[in-house]
Amino acid sequence: MTCEPDFGWTGTIGEVVLGATKADGGTRRVSYRLGGGTTLPFLEKRADIPTPLIAFEICDLPVFWSPIVKKACGDLVNNPAEWAKAAETAYGADIVRLYLTSTRQRDFSDIASIRPAVEGVLSATSLPLIIEGSNEPKIDSEVYQACGETGQGERMLLGTAEAGKYRSIAAAALAYNHSIIAQSPIDINLAKQLNILLKEIGVQRDHIVIDPYTGTLGYGFEYSYSAMERIRFSALKGDTDLAMPMICSSIDSLTIKEVREAGPADQDDMAIRWEFYTNLAAAAAGAEIVCVRHPGTIPLLRRAFADMKRQAGEVQ
Amino acid sequence: MTDVESAKKHGEELLRTKIPQIRQSFSYEDTAYHLPISYALTGVAVHDGKTAMEVFGKTGNNPIVASECILAEQTAISGREPAPYTGFIDDTVIRKLGYSLVDGSILGLALVVGTPRSEGSAAAICRELQEKYMLTFLAGPVIPALSGAGVKLGLEYRLIPLGSTPFYGIHFVDIVARVAMTFGGVTPGDTHRLLAYAAERAKAIVIVFPGLSDEEIALVDGMRVLGIPILSPEGYEGGTWIYAAPDDIVRRGLEEKGIRVNVTAIPIPMGCSPAFEGKSIRKEEMYVEFGGGRSPAFELLKMRQPGEIEDGKVTVIGPEIDSLKEGSANPLGIVIEVAGRTMKKDYEPVLERRIHNFVNYGEGSWHVAQRDLIWVRLSKEAVAKGVKIEHIGKLLASKFRMDFPQLLDAVAVTLITDEAKVLAAKKEAERIYDERDARIRGMKDADVETYYSCTLCQTFAPNHVCVITPERLALCGAISWLDGKIAYEMSPSGANQPIEKGTCINALTGEFEGVNKFVKKASHGEIERCSLYSVMEYPMTCCGCFEAIALMLPEVNGIMVVNREYKGMTPSGMTFSTLAGTIGGGAQTPGFAGISKNFVLSDRFLQGEGGIERLVWMPAVLKEELKVRLEAKLKEQGLEGLFPKIADETTAATIEDLMAFLERVGHPALGMKPLV
Repeated sequence: MTCEPDFGWTGTIGEVVLGATKADGGTRRVSYRLGGGTTLPFLEKRADIPTPLIAFEICDLPVFWSPIVKKACGDLVNNPAEWAKAAETAYGADIVRLYLTSTRQRDFSDIASIRPAVEGVLSATSLPLIIEGSNEPKIDSEVYQACGETGQGERMLLGTAEAGKYRSIAAAALAYNHSIIAQSPIDINLAKQLNILLKEIGVQRDHIVIDPYTGTLGYGFEYSYSAMERIRFSALKGDTDLAMPMICSSIDSLTIKEVREAGPADQDDMAIRWEFYTNLAAAAAGAEIVCVRHPGTIPLLRRAFADMKRQAGEVQ
Repeated sequence: MTDVESAKKHGEELLRTKIPQIRQSFSYEDTAYHLPISYALTGVAVHDGKTAMEVFGKTGNNPIVASECILAEQTAISGREPAPYTGFIDDTVIRKLGYSLVDGSILGLALVVGTPRSEGSAAAICRELQEKYMLTFLAGPVIPALSGAGVKLGLEYRLIPLGSTPFYGIHFVDIVARVAMTFGGVTPGDTHRLLAYAAERAKAIVIVFPGLSDEEIALVDGMRVLGIPILSPEGYEGGTWIYAAPDDIVRRGLEEKGIRVNVTAIPIPMGCSPAFEGKSIRKEEMYVEFGGGRSPAFELLKMRQPGEIEDGKVTVIGPEIDSLKEGSANPLGIVIEVAGRTMKKDYEPVLERRIHNFVNYGEGSWHVAQRDLIWVRLSKEAVAKGVKIEHIGKLLASKFRMDFPQLLDAVAVTLITDEAKVLAAKKEAERIYDERDARIRGMKDADVETYYSCTLCQTFAPNHVCVITPERLALCGAISWLDGKIAYEMSPSGANQPIEKGTCINALTGEFEGVNKFVKKASHGEIERCSLYSVMEYPMTCCGCFEAIALMLPEVNGIMVVNREYKGMTPSGMTFSTLAGTIGGGAQTPGFAGISKNFVLSDRFLQGEGGIERLVWMPAVLKEELKVRLEAKLKEQGLEGLFPKIADETTAATIEDLMAFLERVGHPALGMKPLV
């Protein structure tokens, strides 16, 4: 069978560097170039376009973390550094995404604790890092300053900027040369608007990753898919304000009814499957990074991505 | 008095003779930017006399560059000054400062130099700078003066003592240069970008006290190149400095650079939030009322020149709440004066409409209608809590500043409760309303080159693009051309964008090259052409918010209009909701157009189809709503007598009835060129 999809697109997805190796002044084992695509996912002819990267999400205070994940990861959840190490060595993730959930406690003010938390994870793993900071205007400024400074030179990805909350993250990215996740609520125009706002404040395009916001499969994912598809089409048609890599995190898939109410024997499997299919769909929609919380999801995704890439190659 | 102009000339001369005398090599530690100003301007790393001469020549004998080199050598020879003086500030600290600037936790940078005549006035100026979230650098005798007045210094107090003489003020400029290189993407040597960045983005001001040497005056004056205003309260004259009284100097400086302090809390004894907007105050709950036909009342928003009004000032002319009788109706004039660099007279009516929302935000205040028809009530509960008429003014002044930070620099409110004065002011207000009406009424599509888009609805109608012109409101009826213009000015990357209409392709159907180009892009390539005045050919797309739908009825060679409120069947065989479901979602459907109700009154309505004579049917309720204005419009066009020929559901419920009705009354549409 021959199939030569030619859409007549001329645009290219801009590249964002994640992680700095020793040669680039950091301490990471690898550095990724996200983006660079010229067509839809898994249709690329260039062999060097990677399959989507898999980020494993951890946190520094697991109170609100899914009990299913806590069970699967055991005691590790109480030690972010060891957890991060496991993400690299045992789970086989490409990226570690650290949520500083401690900063989301009521009246959090222990800014001094952020540096050791980030440092701990940085030294425990040699994978590139995504850091998710606070979510409270009163402390955002100090928190992101601390995150940015601690990871200086490591080319991290800082999250998550939104239309009403981007200045501190942008400032940290600018001051310490990190990139930033720009999230909009499943809306192509708001995604573009936020990118323009970031540009106005001085963040370059090659430092922005779009988070279109991911609904769970069957719980709104079709909206995410449609928004992502349109973002990607616009980018490939030449809209440079949208020509950035995308990141998807299917965090809601662990709390949906099917997973929550599954019997004890099935629950783990059910969690993995929902996370897997949501992320697979996100990858098909064009995500350059997908994020998981259950370690069991990683090998499934890995195999699926490899198969899809190989089949795409065979078609040509 | 020191004459700035001659001192500067002499100072520049002195600096020029000193540059060749640099012998020692020098460098600051902890910076990747060498001598930052010289490096940013020329890309040359200056470390000795030879490179200093080179850069000095390259920059056209710039006094800032000269000062930077001379001070660097001096620091290398005699070492850094002891604490509290910071001298050259290293890159790590600059990163933090730059962070706070981008982050918005500091609004701008100030340099204060010289010898203040009184400790108190220096302290007052610096306190005001602190209060306005400015990061202030100090150089010279002002530092001991502040310490003497008990002012605490240091980074944590946002007051940084650079050095013992005003000459150390040069470090202020090297900070600006490094912020530009770190945060502004300015590459060393790109003079043009640096100057542009400094002028537009670096919010910096300089305040100069007396006692500067000629060289120091040359240095400070040289900072104007970077777009930094130089202000002085005393001791100098001439040049292009700004002279202002000590208690006004900070405000002048901030205004000069467009630095705005955001108001966050409104100091009134009642809650203020959109949450209270829908709550009405019934007669039993009311303490006093104003207007509503019971007493004379009006509201007016007027533009003033910056400097003419005092921001936040609220004046009540006439009796306050405590001398008003409970349950009474009283006269009221609400006069709001606003000023801002980007404010325009055209915006007055649009801003004036916001008085309605803002007064309703108050937990115990209520407002309906507009202009000289307003009706305002204050609740018993609010008055018991201590709310006075004055507080309505405070609420308005604060809300206008909060909601229009880009537009307004100052808002002053006057509330008049004295009957004679209300009547006099109301007369003047009515004259202004008339003027405004004439201006907007007179505005034609042909008079402007720019239309505005609205893509607010793309959230659910992905490819919909509204094109708003002076004679065609957005199809939802809520956004006029002026609103679009203002929305764009206030939020330049928002949903309302300017459209250069470009060459006219078809004057009759209202098709323009620029509009087509814009619509194609904004519809993500889906819509190629858009005619603004036609229902039949390339009509505008429809989201879902249209107030009414205009659609063709080929059987009778005419166009009918049905509004959202009308629930019944129409002669097209479809109800409004069926029609809406068919044409909405961002599609372009020839023969159907979503419109605002008022568009029916526009000269451009159905222009592409031969004019309003095509209009054959409207629901009775819509006819009633538009009657007076539509009859006037028809008269203007020489179409008197057309109005009763337009059918409604009472005269024609089906297409057959309609045909019979139109034939009976002799409707002109029947004789027009075939629609399809």
